[in-house]
Amino acid sequence: MFIYLLLAAGLFMGWSLGTNDAANAFGTAVATRVVKYRTAIIIIAIMVVLGAAVAGHHNIGKLSSIATNNEVVASIDEVEAAVESDTLNDLRLKSALKAFIIFACSGITVFGMSYLKFPVSANQSITGAVIGWGLCYADYSSPEILKSNLTEILEFMSTWLINPLGAAMISFVLVFFVKKYIEKRLTSMQSYDRIVKFGYIVAGAFSAYSIGQNSSASVTAFYYDATGLGANILTDPRLTAIIGGVAIAIGVLTFSKRVMMTVGGSIAEISQVDGFVVIIASALTVVLMGELMGIPVSTSQSVVGAVVGAGLVNGVKSVNFGVFKRIAIAWVSSPTVAGILTYLVALATKSYFAA
Amino acid sequence: MFKKKTDVHALIMEQIDDVKKCLVLFDGFMRAATTPGVNHETLCSLRDGVSEAENVADTSLRTMICSLNKSYYLPSTMESLIAIATSCDKIANKCESIANLIVIYKFQFTAESYKEFNKIYDIINKQFELLEEAISMLFSNMSQLQKDPSILDEIRALESEIDAIEMQLSERIFNMNAELAFKMQFFDLVRSLCDVSDIIEDIADKIQIMLISRKA
Repeated sequence: MFIYLLLAAGLFMGWSLGTNDAANAFGTAVATRVVKYRTAIIIIAIMVVLGAAVAGHHNIGKLSSIATNNEVVASIDEVEAAVESDTLNDLRLKSALKAFIIFACSGITVFGMSYLKFPVSANQSITGAVIGWGLCYADYSSPEILKSNLTEILEFMSTWLINPLGAAMISFVLVFFVKKYIEKRLTSMQSYDRIVKFGYIVAGAFSAYSIGQNSSASVTAFYYDATGLGANILTDPRLTAIIGGVAIAIGVLTFSKRVMMTVGGSIAEISQVDGFVVIIASALTVVLMGELMGIPVSTSQSVVGAVVGAGLVNGVKSVNFGVFKRIAIAWVSSPTVAGILTYLVALATKSYFAA
Repeated sequence: MFKKKTDVHALIMEQIDDVKKCLVLFDGFMRAATTPGVNHETLCSLRDGVSEAENVADTSLRTMICSLNKSYYLPSTMESLIAIATSCDKIANKCESIANLIVIYKFQFTAESYKEFNKIYDIINKQFELLEEAISMLFSNMSQLQKDPSILDEIRALESEIDAIEMQLSERIFNMNAELAFKMQFFDLVRSLCDVSDIIEDIADKIQIMLISRKA
């Protein structure tokens, strides 16, 4: 029973992700009253669960593998040894406790940095925390393990560049296409308004789908047992992703209005047509990143990249590159702070977990 | 998700047409009022015509606003359309208010003011025609209006012409050999008439803001 209570930490993280990430999908549309709040949250909740059910398990597998490499989730050898020595229950408890620590450290990071008014990424904080834990347990005497850990860290850090750059490129192409071929056809106010309304709903739904695919893994991957020997609470990857998706959906349905209105209001300065194209580009990038790399990426990074890409269609001068300074801090700081915090907790608890 | 479509375009053009009818009746009233020796009862009857037209324009405005709720339009578009239609209604209100004042004051226009007054009506009529065209373009050819908003510039230029006439006429009013009360009433009427032009210019500005906010 206690083990299942520890799952609550992941579900709570999912709930808080839902309260925040819903803003990326429908923030602008709701803030500008293009879509009603109630309609928006129903669409998001359905699409988040759908995204988790259809594609979330890809990220579960990858993140679970990262967690295993970083000693957060028990490896097959450890599980087999536990089965032999009849200590599987202890192993399950330890795995759930580790997941709890990861969520606690990343949660504290997100809360603390938000309190200090730094933009943060919950997904990246969680992955950063996992790597932090792994760094504490890494066997630095083994060049192979060291190499594997370094490759993983570099792969993770590469998303800081690939994600926004990819979003900028996709957004540039989409906005260019829309300006050249679609905008010309919007000759009347009716057609313009209809396209904008329809566009925001499609973009919001797709963005919610990408949140389901991307974030459901961050919430429950550490409770997933990849060995199939009962070393963790959840055994089916699709069900694991769906549980994460439902937690996010509950967050969206219960407590997303305030954040949605705040975020939506602040990014509403871009034009209405560009607005929904940017959301589509950002969601597309997140989905592609999930398919190609399997690492949960920051949706904020992809939104920023997409906004820049849309701005570049109107020329380099129309882009405010000064904004990158603040964003760059967020990209690096959330996972780094979460990683350092988790490293310290891992160090303090090593005698218990290594026993 | 999408509510049943209603023809807001037709309804807003109908409302503008009703305001135009009021303006035409007001024009007839003013031409009669500036005709020497006009019968007071004739003026009262013409004034009643303006009032009726204003009531019809009011009803059209309410119908148009109610229909917006059932349309595809974005909330920002609805707000702009309501602002434009309400301002158009103010034109009819102003016409009725001036007609009422002339009848209540039993105002006698001086011979030298006829020419300027006629000029003002002509310019206002021209402005309103341009406004009607601009509003119609918003619905049928918004992109063209975005590319070439010269029609809106023309409305503003006409308002400047009226400003110049207002200034000349006001100076002449206060140089007249008449009682101050008469001068104040006359000045008030001239200013109210020129307000119609200001309202039209204000609507042109609202249209321009609408166009800019839609530029992607």
